[in-house]
Amino acid sequence: MIYAGIDAGSRAIKIVLIDADGSRIVAKAHADQGIEQGRLACELFEKTLAENGIPRSDVGRILATGYGRNAIEIADTTITEITCHAVGVRHLVPEVRTIIDIGGQDSKLVRLDANGKVRDFAMNDRCAAGTGRFLEVVASRLGIPVGELGAMASRSSSPAAISSMCVVFAETEIIGLLSCGRAAEDIVAGVQNAIASRIVAMAGRSVEPPILFTGGVARIKGMETALQTALGRPVAISPEPQMTGALGAALLARRQSDSMNL
Amino acid sequence: MTGEPRQINLDQWDREYARLRAAGMAEPIYGGPLSRHVADGDTRLLKLRYDNSPAALRLWNFLLTEEDRLLAARDSGKKLVGAMKDLGTVPVMAYSLDNLVSFYPDGAWWIPCVMELNTGLLQIADSLGIDESFCPVRAMLGAFVTEAHFPLPDLLTCSVGATCDDFSAIAQRLNGLGHPILWWEIPHRRQPEPGEQAVTLPGGFSAPGSQIEFVRSELLRVKIALEELAGRSLDDETLVAGILKANVVRDLLAHLRHLAFTAPLCPMPALEMLIAEMLAIHFCSDQDETILVLTNLLAEVTRRAAAGTGHLAADAARVFWVNPVADLRAMNLLEDCGGRMCGTEYLFAHALDPIPTTIPPMEALAQMALADPMVGSAFDRAARIVADIRRFRAEAVIVSRIPGASHCALEGEIIARMVREECGLPVLEIEVPSITDATQATLCTRLEALVETAKDRRER
Repeated sequence: MIYAGIDAGSRAIKIVLIDADGSRIVAKAHADQGIEQGRLACELFEKTLAENGIPRSDVGRILATGYGRNAIEIADTTITEITCHAVGVRHLVPEVRTIIDIGGQDSKLVRLDANGKVRDFAMNDRCAAGTGRFLEVVASRLGIPVGELGAMASRSSSPAAISSMCVVFAETEIIGLLSCGRAAEDIVAGVQNAIASRIVAMAGRSVEPPILFTGGVARIKGMETALQTALGRPVAISPEPQMTGALGAALLARRQSDSMNL
Repeated sequence: MTGEPRQINLDQWDREYARLRAAGMAEPIYGGPLSRHVADGDTRLLKLRYDNSPAALRLWNFLLTEEDRLLAARDSGKKLVGAMKDLGTVPVMAYSLDNLVSFYPDGAWWIPCVMELNTGLLQIADSLGIDESFCPVRAMLGAFVTEAHFPLPDLLTCSVGATCDDFSAIAQRLNGLGHPILWWEIPHRRQPEPGEQAVTLPGGFSAPGSQIEFVRSELLRVKIALEELAGRSLDDETLVAGILKANVVRDLLAHLRHLAFTAPLCPMPALEMLIAEMLAIHFCSDQDETILVLTNLLAEVTRRAAAGTGHLAADAARVFWVNPVADLRAMNLLEDCGGRMCGTEYLFAHALDPIPTTIPPMEALAQMALADPMVGSAFDRAARIVADIRRFRAEAVIVSRIPGASHCALEGEIIARMVREECGLPVLEIEVPSITDATQATLCTRLEALVETAKDRRER
């Protein structure tokens, strides 16, 4: 039997399929998010099954998570990304006590107990200043792909000071910095620092190590360094940064199936 | 007459109303179907879900007809007192005089929610220089300008000093618009110094006797103003009678809260409980009717608790909620996401405590005013919240911020930290604007995650 986790994020849909004993990822896939979230997730799911030669009847249970979870009609149930990330991280790096997840639209800090259960969590409020959206804004303003931001930031020796309170204000600051001739790499590094400082503000006083960094933004070079500097503690990147939530969803689907004797 | 507890929408209430009327339900003069208030512009009602009991219907109709009551009171020759930034002190004095009616202009902070921003009150406040960096209570300014939501009071009082900075600014702006205000000062409550007379206040905080004496003298000025407005004296005997009546309201609420928060199945939704609790501070412009409304509600909750019925699943996560919400819909959302209200601190915990009756009445009121959790240290307030969380056996805590409200920004983090450290419970901090529709998905994710976390902890 196969169990599926679908993480319908704001920028991407991620799918992970695991085997019956939950020890092996048998397939994973991701695609850009769009307006018809349910249809896109269904198409990606069917495509993933087909590409891996898995009959639909082999899939025992599907669990959806993420921002668009309630739009996924093929899912048997939904659970929030907070819980799913905790389960996914517990599976990948059991000793982790703090998860920093930065996605396209939101960021989260999840505190875990020694058993990997969620002890507490915090999420960004209404502003996107601590999220991947901030990086998209700066990439758009500089006319470069988001994927190249990390390499660019690594060339900075003097990151710019940029407000972490509001992306809209920060964009105005970026325009001002550009007009003053400030190097693009300094601006990108400054934005990374601003995101990191937003996470620190959200974390408050207690960030217990080990710390694991998940979410699509974890794939951007330099972000973990910015977080480490801001937190004053080591930050490791998840082995499956973008898939952690979907993996947790798949594991929970399997767990639910077991408890229901399906 | 009442069926099983459930939450119903406005259409369902219309049908239920017809059924109840046909079955002979008696109603007060302000009764009627809930949906009629939509015609008055209260469009948010279309998006809320309500308890299906006649007692809840009466509560809602009572709340939504306050302006009619104020106009009727004026027509009958009574004088109106607007008690601003007052969480349960001046109204007790005012209602002791039978030709005065006190109301709570700050209550206008819910108008942008209930009328879904269609009133223009916030735009008026914007135009007066009080923009969205201030608490939604700035809608009160617009209400004074339009005179469309309450009649202008004959006397306007406002506490100042250790109260919200943003409210003080709003009230000063109101004063500048030509509305005279009788200010009375409430100092920041402090711990007694060694050698000072220490007084334990209702609710357990302590303050130096000198501060109580100061507040008593401030309230005396208000009392004199009320007497002048009423044209009669407010002697101690009359004031004690007024205090006893206020204590009836507080006692009803204490019983209501205890049952609603501790019954195995939740016997009354969070939304109706929020509305009911608010009656403690302003009586919705009719103290006698407040007692009847709450008596009815308590009877319904008692019946349900005894029958072991409720509108939520038995395994709903027990959530303690700190601070009132600007959007009433947030209360529905908590329950939609699997939570159950089991304890609240809506900034006026002191107004739920009985007013002392064994000391001179003005001193008793001064003690109550100083017992306000907002006029002392945030740590004091947090400590009281922690005690209530334990009392009601909460499994999770929500600290809800009011956008622009200065005390929320300052106190929220302290409360959250103390709850985490002393109770070890998950704490969710959220901000609830007047209309949450655009942020509903993210708000629900947080509420669901909190519920999941609380339930998961049961299994450990």
